Amino acid sequence: MKTDVQLPAATDLKKPRPKKAPELPILERRNWLIHLHYIRKDYETCKAIIKEQLHETQGMCEYAVYVQALIMRLEGKIQQSLELFQSCAILNPKSSDNLKQVARSLFLLGKHKAAIEVYNEAARLNQKDWEISHNLGVCYIYTKDFRSAEEQLNLALQLNKHDLTYMMLGKIHLLQGDTEKAIDVYKSAVEYVSIHNLTFKHTCFILYTMLLGKYQKAFEHLGNALTYDPNNFKAILAAGSMMQTHGDYDVAMNKYRVAAYSVPESPPLWNNIGMCFFGKKKYVAAISCLKRANYLSPFDWKILYNLGLVHLTMQQYASAFHFLSAAINLRPRMSELYMLLAVALTNLDDADNARRSYEQAVQLDESNLLVNLNFAVFLYNQGDKKAALLQFQEMERKVNTQVDSNINTEFDPELVEMAQKLGAALQAGENLYWSKPGKDSKSSQRSSSSKPSSSQQPLGTNQALGQAMSSAAGYSKSMQITAGAEPLSPSTSCHLHRSVHPNLQSQIFRCLFEWCIILM
Amino acid sequence: MSSVSHELKDTSVASSKWLDAHYDPVANLYTFSSCIALSDLHGDGENKLVVGDLGTGVCNVKLKVYRGTGVLSESTLLDLPTGLVSFLMDLHEPRTPAIAVASGPFIYVYKNLRPYFKFTLPSLEVNPLEQDVWSQAKEDMIDPMTLKEMLEGLRDKAEIPLSVRSLRFLMLEPQEMENFVLLHKEQPIRRQTVITCIGMLKKNMADEDAVSCLVIGTENGDVYILDPEAFTILYKMSLPSSPTLMDVTGQFDVEFRITVACRNGNIYILRRDSPKPKYCIELSSHPVGLVRMGKNVVVGCTHETLHGYTQKGKKLWTAYLPAPVTAMALMDLPTRGFQAVLVGLANCEVHMYRDKNLISTIKTPDVVTSICFGRYGREDGTLIMTTKGGGLIVKILKRTAVFDDRDSAPGPPIAQSIRLNVPKKTKLYVDQTLRERENAVAMHRAFQMDLSRLRLAAARAYVKALESSLTPMSASLTEPLKMNAVVQGLGPSFKLTLNIQNTASCRPVMNLAISFLYDENLYSMRTAFFK
Repeated sequence: MKTDVQLPAATDLKKPRPKKAPELPILERRNWLIHLHYIRKDYETCKAIIKEQLHETQGMCEYAVYVQALIMRLEGKIQQSLELFQSCAILNPKSSDNLKQVARSLFLLGKHKAAIEVYNEAARLNQKDWEISHNLGVCYIYTKDFRSAEEQLNLALQLNKHDLTYMMLGKIHLLQGDTEKAIDVYKSAVEYVSIHNLTFKHTCFILYTMLLGKYQKAFEHLGNALTYDPNNFKAILAAGSMMQTHGDYDVAMNKYRVAAYSVPESPPLWNNIGMCFFGKKKYVAAISCLKRANYLSPFDWKILYNLGLVHLTMQQYASAFHFLSAAINLRPRMSELYMLLAVALTNLDDADNARRSYEQAVQLDESNLLVNLNFAVFLYNQGDKKAALLQFQEMERKVNTQVDSNINTEFDPELVEMAQKLGAALQAGENLYWSKPGKDSKSSQRSSSSKPSSSQQPLGTNQALGQAMSSAAGYSKSMQITAGAEPLSPSTSCHLHRSVHPNLQSQIFRCLFEWCIILM
Repeated sequence: MSSVSHELKDTSVASSKWLDAHYDPVANLYTFSSCIALSDLHGDGENKLVVGDLGTGVCNVKLKVYRGTGVLSESTLLDLPTGLVSFLMDLHEPRTPAIAVASGPFIYVYKNLRPYFKFTLPSLEVNPLEQDVWSQAKEDMIDPMTLKEMLEGLRDKAEIPLSVRSLRFLMLEPQEMENFVLLHKEQPIRRQTVITCIGMLKKNMADEDAVSCLVIGTENGDVYILDPEAFTILYKMSLPSSPTLMDVTGQFDVEFRITVACRNGNIYILRRDSPKPKYCIELSSHPVGLVRMGKNVVVGCTHETLHGYTQKGKKLWTAYLPAPVTAMALMDLPTRGFQAVLVGLANCEVHMYRDKNLISTIKTPDVVTSICFGRYGREDGTLIMTTKGGGLIVKILKRTAVFDDRDSAPGPPIAQSIRLNVPKKTKLYVDQTLRERENAVAMHRAFQMDLSRLRLAAARAYVKALESSLTPMSASLTEPLKMNAVVQGLGPSFKLTLNIQNTASCRPVMNLAISFLYDENLYSMRTAFFK
């Protein structure tokens, strides 16, 4: 391939050969330069070169059009980019890449059906491309055709085991409520995904273990994930809320400080911080944080629920009523919310509505003992011993089923104590029922000690307690003192303890799923 | 803000590691890392800087040679340079290296800064059918219109793409076709491709001053290895996509490995024994820089990440960068046994990485577009950078500089010790809280009462609006109409503007009639009923 030229390059230019036809410029001669600027994100220069190149080739340079379309898409001009990609596909109908981009633009425009068609066409040109299969799967998810989506994603997994595909597949199963299949997917993801993608691996493992209910293991892996990436917001939130669930408020707060530094405006974060303060009995700080969370996300029922809870604890029943009714408007089928509302209403001297609210709570509830217990206490205080006895028996029935099916054998001591007091007051022969679950001698001892006081205590309003707590220092007083003093407040304090749990757990789930979605 | 102080400390340490030898902010250089080389052009033991300058991108394309702080020579290039290497092409004494500049489909070889040789890429195979069609046109057997039709047929189903000439022909207006055919028909059809990257490979010895072959990658995805003296093609390999960056190691006669980053976002590793890629690394984003460090490959990606891979394509580590990568280069100090990767970032910093650990940061006055480290003049550790604004920076590594290899993530994050910004509550708030505690029931009742009153007032207003037919709304779903009447003027004659709006997004309402009811004693109206 030797050529004869030994001339200096410059003189070559000065000697044009007039008779010869002009050399036509090679269409793709600037592609490298366009690419070089494109990957360096120097879009302005890139566009200038593309313009020049398209002018020179009269719009025939496929790559220039392609990159121009990519840049336009980045700039948000999706419709224009779609048109450009379509012209690329005309210039080179054999390239599956062009079709893929057309489909991608359609997908971004929300035209999922059209995108599916184009992807199918692209799949005909290139059958072994995981990207096409994966994106087809994602499109099918949006069109709610989960079966085809599953099929395509499995196909993508056969071609190439990519993290994203595993995540999507797991998500489909979760969307369909098929937890077992989702567990399988995450399990195989943990096995196959290369060891180097640690964050992803941890995510999968955490999801896998959480779905199996092994929170301890999930927590260990969260810790591992955090050592690799100590500033990962979602991991911090998840780990923090788990610590919080176990009462490790100070450690959780340490974690949240890191998160608050990087993402200062996250509603779940401020909610969890607020509940940490609540756990540490710093109620004013808790209210401040929760109010901030509520400000950031006014339609989040969890935050409103917590606000209601904290206000109940602070005996600000009128405020609690507002937060709880807002939460009920957003989530009308949760029995705990009605129960809390009933407690607030009881304290607002609105017995009729409180009773209605309790009835609604009992109707919606399936397994929460507190609802029945609180209702029973309320009815007893109202003087309706018969109805109270009914609720008490309903609670006992729930206890027995839970013990029988081994779901829960350890009950909150305060709950047990309260139940025993009430049982004594109703003369329901509670020892027969409670001797079965509460085998530990402690609770029975305590019950015997507290029984006389409770039976002699008039079950009235809590005016006295309110006065005792009314000083500003009152919020540092421990719950146990109030629990002993007044039969009604233990019922509130009981569910205060309990209600933190389901709430935080749902929070954890939320973090993780958001985290996965971000990974996608 | 201890992170800032941490950073400050870092840069002050870094700046003390380098001597600022030269900074010319108006050197007017527009170039990339692939177009920079350091070479002992005259064999006098003093390395010069050779830069392929893209000029304005159109004109002023030059090959510039710097010595010290000044330009030694400049020669004009015909087209934009894609890459530039300095290599020893023969064993003649004195051992002066040649400069190969890749540009378009050509490689221009300069020796002693004089043009010495021009290599042209072999032309690609032309579609035989296309050839046939044009030869018919040449003998005037077919007219331009038939030629056009036949070429269009070829374009849509041919395995081998058409040549530029045919494509250009298809773009022409009918009246221009005749002239175009006349002008071009005598020329043989050629399909040319262009060079996209260039590298060099030692021929048969691993020495510093061994003879090297040129390795070139082309737009259509081929990789050629050229003989250093005869410029014949020794070996040809093909890739699935156009190569953009290339790293070559080994010796041609023994064993070699070419790592090529391609435009489809993959990295392919080619070996001596196979013309097809041996390993493939699928990246999640486009590679911007590719550097080999010992046996590993370090890739900087557009997603602000830096990955380390083994030469078999196994991922070793990932480091996250604070800004997009603009340039990358290897920093190799064999005398001190030190190797690191220099990464130029869009935030006007150059980071120095050893494996995944950031060991030093250099602040630059502008975004760096190309980096080159090596021997310049008589100084071994010289760092040469050009910037986006066209500046040239030369820094010399201090001989006392030590880079300690510390892990980048020691202990808990700094943010952990920053106090949480919990909103404070005022005295007023506490007072209100107390008031609520004492008067909760009264407050609640007052609220409920007011709420009922509000509802009552709203209901009354609604009934009133309904009764007086102010802005009536249609309640039926089939005729989702809204009406609004406005009186304009004071009288005795005035204008009544009636606005009728269809509130449904996609339901047309048709065949409606409007009639006006009014007191005929007081008002008169021309058309009291219309459709």
